[in-house]
Amino acid sequence: MVEILTSQVVSGLATGCVYALIALGFVLIFKATDVVNFAQGEFVMASGFISYTLLIRFELPYWLVFLATIALSGIMGVALERVVVRPIMTAPIFSIVIATIGASIVMRSSAGILYGYDVLPLPTIFSKDPIHWGVLNFTLMDAGVIGSSLVIMVVLYLFFKLTKTGTAMRATAQSQTAARLMGVSVGRIFSLTWAISAGIGGVAGVLIAPIIYLDPNLGFIGVKAFAGAILGGFGSIPGAIVGGMLLGILENLSGYFFNAGIKQVSTYILLILVLVVRPGGLFGAAPIRRV
Amino acid sequence: MGMKTLERLKGLPLVVVGVGLLALPSFVDNYILYVMTRLFVYVLVALGLNLLTGYTGQVSLGHAAFFAIGAYTAAVLAESWRWPSVLCVVAAAVFTAVVGYLLGLPCLRLSGLYLAMATLGFTLIVQEMLLQLAVITHGSEGMKVRPASILGFTFDSDYRKYFLLLVVTTSMLIVARNLIRGRTGRAFLAIRENERAAEAMGVNLAQYKTIAFAISALYTGLAGALSAFLVGFLDPQEFSVFLSIQFITIIILGGLGSLLGSVLGAGFLIILPELLAGLDVWQALVYGLLMVLTIIFMPYGLSGAIRRHAYRWLGVGVEPIVPRRLGH
Repeated sequence: MVEILTSQVVSGLATGCVYALIALGFVLIFKATDVVNFAQGEFVMASGFISYTLLIRFELPYWLVFLATIALSGIMGVALERVVVRPIMTAPIFSIVIATIGASIVMRSSAGILYGYDVLPLPTIFSKDPIHWGVLNFTLMDAGVIGSSLVIMVVLYLFFKLTKTGTAMRATAQSQTAARLMGVSVGRIFSLTWAISAGIGGVAGVLIAPIIYLDPNLGFIGVKAFAGAILGGFGSIPGAIVGGMLLGILENLSGYFFNAGIKQVSTYILLILVLVVRPGGLFGAAPIRRV
Repeated sequence: MGMKTLERLKGLPLVVVGVGLLALPSFVDNYILYVMTRLFVYVLVALGLNLLTGYTGQVSLGHAAFFAIGAYTAAVLAESWRWPSVLCVVAAAVFTAVVGYLLGLPCLRLSGLYLAMATLGFTLIVQEMLLQLAVITHGSEGMKVRPASILGFTFDSDYRKYFLLLVVTTSMLIVARNLIRGRTGRAFLAIRENERAAEAMGVNLAQYKTIAFAISALYTGLAGALSAFLVGFLDPQEFSVFLSIQFITIIILGGLGSLLGSVLGAGFLIILPELLAGLDVWQALVYGLLMVLTIIFMPYGLSGAIRRHAYRWLGVGVEPIVPRRLGH
């Protein structure tokens, strides 16, 4: 019993880590530019297809595919920012959000036109054989996904804390005007933020596509990651990570106890209850009413 | 032409559109009438959602759920309880309004993205309930609904359905117009602009926010009930989060906080896919591209663009002002 539970928790944590990565992408862009990018999930989907193409059609080695996918996804992020978001930065936030929804429709249908709507198998370097380790019961794939996600998070943390560019990004998130006065090129920071967010989405795509499925609708995973980010408190980086992980675990556990339909519902009922008690999410401050 | 004359001619487009809509059924085939009837249903939803999101500043991704509740309430009352059609529609609208009021209560504490997420959760929960409560809703099989009838007059042809919806939608448009011009509408706008200032001016925030939810749900439930009778079949898969996103896209593309915007946005998003139907696999791609381009060139929506140009070039009306953020 305990072993089944722990295996549920660990595999939930693996999915949750991927949610956390996507949620991080949401929050980074939101903090820097006030925009909620609803095409975040499409970066995940697109990277799944990019890595599929590089791996199966071009038969490149896995490590190279991993790096190339992140880079290409990052470039996609910059392109989206430059072409769609930058021209309307002064428009109402709502309009920008709808523009990203439009962009996500374009990306999804492009993937459909190029690859069709059948589910494609994406290989992974991690094996799916179960490992027993005391009461812990997991697969190498779970461990690999959790490990890679944690490495990415630590690298990001160090980048923000230690590098000059990272500091400039934090400054921009706090106050664009002050950052600009200090000589930070805010426009360049925006592009960089989109590149990083899309790049993290790329990592998430390579990690999650072998676990669930690879088809043009993979991007809808973004909705769950968004829920995770909200649960943690939108705008808080630790919130996005913890919220994403919690959501993954909760979803898996309720999927174990209830049928598939209730699994979805129970997760969202819990989310609404958390929001009613803590309107700013777990880690977020209560929203300040501006006067 | 002087400015005064132009100002006086403001009602002219309305008259032209009105005559056009009345004359339309004589010139077009049944399919176009059917598309127009669906368009009217979406206008009703857009009006309701715009009252809540555009005017009061409360984002909702829960309107697919309200739409479903209206549709299923009407269908169950008509098919299982054999209520007369008019009562079914009225009861469905009122019941949805009550649900909207109740949902508005826990949502009082939420705003912005958190409100969007909570209402999105509501949509997911309601859609799942449609599947689980199969005793009432027939689950994934869906429900058949016979055409509505009033005192023996049955709305079974596209022609009759068109006029039914034209009358209901126009009436509800006038109701919405009066609502926003009155005390309630001013309270809504005050809440959107600045909650604290509104409160200081004597607007009861909790009361007006829940009223906004209730009225918005009433419009959407009414649209859902009418849609059940029009389409004749309810499929629970249709009432998904994507329908909610489509609703909010309609009002943003059309123009937030604008009744004209609700109408134009619904027209844009219903007619466009019909025009693109010949493009086959490219349809969604072109649709998405047009969405992005529309926003890039008209960031304040269709009605914002029209108002801006009417003001700049003809001197009619006022320069539109839309706040950059809502519900923050």
